[in-house]
Amino acid sequence: MRLELSWSVVGEVTAGPATRLVGQRLEVDLDGLRELLSADSRLARIRLDLAHPGERCRIGRVFDVIAPRAKADGGADFPGVLGGVARAGQGRTSALAGVAVVATDQQTDNVGTLAVIDMAGPNAALSAFGRTHNLVISAWPSPGTERSDYLAAVRLAALKTAVHLARTARETEPDRVEVFELPPSPRVPPALAHLPRVAYVFQIHSHQRPTGLDEGILYGDPVRRMLPTIVHPNEVLDGAVLRGFMGRSVTTWATQNHPMIRALYAQHGRTLWFAGVVVTVAQATEPERVRSALLTASLVAHTLGADGAVLTKIGGGAPHVDMAQAASQCEALGVKTTAVVEDMSTDGSAEGMLLFDFPGVDALVNVGSSQEPITLPAMDRVVGADDLAPKLLGETRATYGGLCGAIEQVGTTRVMAEVR
Amino acid sequence: MAAGILRVVCYLNQFFGQLGGEDKAGVGPQVVDGAVGAARAVQQALGDAGTVVATVICGDNYAAEQAERATAELVTLVAAARPDLLVAGPAFLAGRYGVACGALCAAVQRELKIPAVTGMHAENPGVELYRRQVYVVQTGAEATRMLPEVQRLVALGLTLARHEAVGTPAAHGYFARGVTRNVVADAPAADRAVAMLLDKLAGRTFVTEVPRPAFPPVAAPRLLKTLEGATIALVTDGGLVPRGNPDGIEALNATRYGAYSIEGKSSLDAAQYDNPHRGYDTTWVKQDPHRLVPVDVARELEQSGAIGKLHETVYSTVGVATTLAQSARMGREIAEKLRAAGVDAVILTST
Repeated sequence: MRLELSWSVVGEVTAGPATRLVGQRLEVDLDGLRELLSADSRLARIRLDLAHPGERCRIGRVFDVIAPRAKADGGADFPGVLGGVARAGQGRTSALAGVAVVATDQQTDNVGTLAVIDMAGPNAALSAFGRTHNLVISAWPSPGTERSDYLAAVRLAALKTAVHLARTARETEPDRVEVFELPPSPRVPPALAHLPRVAYVFQIHSHQRPTGLDEGILYGDPVRRMLPTIVHPNEVLDGAVLRGFMGRSVTTWATQNHPMIRALYAQHGRTLWFAGVVVTVAQATEPERVRSALLTASLVAHTLGADGAVLTKIGGGAPHVDMAQAASQCEALGVKTTAVVEDMSTDGSAEGMLLFDFPGVDALVNVGSSQEPITLPAMDRVVGADDLAPKLLGETRATYGGLCGAIEQVGTTRVMAEVR
Repeated sequence: MAAGILRVVCYLNQFFGQLGGEDKAGVGPQVVDGAVGAARAVQQALGDAGTVVATVICGDNYAAEQAERATAELVTLVAAARPDLLVAGPAFLAGRYGVACGALCAAVQRELKIPAVTGMHAENPGVELYRRQVYVVQTGAEATRMLPEVQRLVALGLTLARHEAVGTPAAHGYFARGVTRNVVADAPAADRAVAMLLDKLAGRTFVTEVPRPAFPPVAAPRLLKTLEGATIALVTDGGLVPRGNPDGIEALNATRYGAYSIEGKSSLDAAQYDNPHRGYDTTWVKQDPHRLVPVDVARELEQSGAIGKLHETVYSTVGVATTLAQSARMGREIAEKLRAAGVDAVILTST
C-alpha cells in the first residue's frame, strides 16, 4: 500500500474574503466557514478564533486537535465519520504543515478533564500546538443536545474544518511529498530477510467509559466490542483512526502524524522490517483483558511473524496494565518488547511509577508524569474559554497533563520523568 | 567574612574527629571551632568557596543508643554555628556513623532549613534509611581516598547551598532519592522506544527509563478453619458508597475509606448506593451493586450454612491513582479492624 502526503508549508494564517492558499499564506473566510459548520442542528452558536505562535494568547477548554488533511484524488476524508466508509491509506492526501484545528468543549463544567494551549512563554515550547497557527472552534450545544451528541458535533466540525483548510492545497505544488509504502507483511526481499521483524501494538481506546453511538474511532466504529485486529500503518496516518471523546495526553493530531509509525518507517529496510500494526482496545474486565492480550500476542507472533514489538497505551491505569499484559504475552511467545508508559505515580515517588511487574516487560520508555504541576504565566488574551478567562488570563497552576500536546502517549513528545 | 563565602559545619564521629577509637564511642556531642580531623579535607575541598566554622563530633555508641537525644543535641550545636551548609561524614561503610549522619542531615534540613549532604557506601544501612530525604553521595567502603570522596560531597553541597539546580543521581554521584521529575529528553519517546527495542533484539545492553517496582510478594495465608465455621468479610476498592458519599471518598487518588453496615440487609438496594470511582465505567455497578459487593449471594451462603457468618461491615474505597503509601496504610488499617472483629477471611473485589 502506498500513501503520499503532499505537504504545503503555511507560515501565516489570516482572515480573508475567501479561503485559499497564497504562497505560504493561508487566508480563511471565517464567515463562510462558520456558515458551513452551522448546518449541524446540534450546534446553536459557533465562534472561530485564530491564535498564532508567539502571541501572548492562551487557548482554554481544549478538547482535541486535528491536523488539516484532504484527500487529493477522490478518496474519503476521515472515512466512516465525515466521509463514507472507504479505504484510507492509499493515494494522495494534501496536508498543511504549521496549522492545526483546535476543538474546544463549551458544555462541560468539569473543566479539569480539558486542557490549555499556550502560544507564547516557556510552555509553548513543550507542545507542538504552541508552534502551529491554530484555528480555534468554540461551539455551544443547541437546547436538548445530549453530551455525546454535542461532542460528536464538535469533533465533526473540527474534521470538516481540517478538510476545508487542506483542500486549499489541492491545486498547489506541494513543498514536499512524503511517501509511505509498505508491501504486504510476508513479502520480504531475500536481501533484507535478516532484519528483525517489528510490529507496533497500538491501543486506540480504553473502555473505562462507554463510547457514544457517534463516537467513531476506527473507520467510524465506536469499537465497543472490538477485538485486536491488524491494520496497515497507512490507514492510521490517513484518518482511519480518531481519538475517542475522552483522553487527556492524546490528540487526534498525534495519531494523524503517528510518531511510532514514522519511527518504524524511518528504520524500515535499514535496521528492521516493519511487520505491521495491531490495533487494540483496553478492556474493562479481567477475562476481556486476558483474551485481548492473548489475541494480540498471537497476531504479533504467529500472523505477523514479528521478532519484536513496541506498544503504546491511551488513558490511565487500566490501559497501562492492559498494555503490559499484552506485552507480557508477546514476551511469552518469544517476541521482545518495549512499551511506552506514563509515570503513574500520583505523589512523585518512583515506587508508584508502574502499576505492573511482569517478567520480560523490562524495557520501558516513559512520557513523563501528567500529574506534575506546571506554572502557566500570565497572558494577554484567552480564546476558547470566555467563561474561564478571569482565571486563565493571570498566572495560574496546572499540570503537564493539562497542557495539550506536552505529553502525547503515542510518543510524539520529549517530556520524560526522571528518577532523582 | 566576605560575601559569597559560605559558612560550613562538619559532622564527624569520634574516630574521624580524632577523639579516639572504640573506647571513645560513648562520648556525647561536642563542638570544636574550625576544622579538625576529616573536616580538614572538607576545608581543602572547599578552597576559597567556604570556611569550616565548626566541627561537631559525637561518639558512635552515644549516637546509636540514644539516637533522638543525640540528634536533638547535635542540631542545637549546629544551629549555634549559623552555617549555610552541613557536611556530615563521609561515613563509608560504618553503620552507626552512617545512620547518625543521615539522621542529623534530615533534622538539620527539617528544623533549621539548612541544606545538608552526607556520603556513604551503598551497603551502609544509612543509605536505605535516609536517601529519600537526604542527598547521600556514594563513596567507597573505606577512607583510603578521603580527599576525592570529600570533593564530590562538597561539590554537591555547594550546589545545594547556592540553591542551584541539582542534576541527575549519575551526574552528581548521589543515591537516587526515589522522586520523579519531568525533564525534556533529547529525542521523542517513539524514537527512544524503537532504539531500545533494537538494542534488546540485538542483545545489547539497554537502560529502561522506569525502574521495576519493588512490590513485596504477599503470600495468601491459609484459612485455619473450615468455611462452615468462618466469618467472611466483603472489602472492595471499586468505590461502592452509600448515596451521598458520607465519608467523602475521593473519585481518584483516595486517602479515605468507609465502613458501611449491612446489618439486617439480605441484599443492597441500588437506590441507596452510589459510586464516585473515576477509573472505570460504573454504570453496571450503580445499576446493581451486587456486581461489585455480592451481599445477596453471601447472605444465601450464610443462610445455607456454607459459610459461618457474613461480617456485618463492608469496607470500601476508590482504587484509582491511589499512591502506594496510602494503599498500604488503608489496607493495614482495614486488616487490623477485621482481625479485631474476629474475621477469618475476606473476599476482596477489585475492578
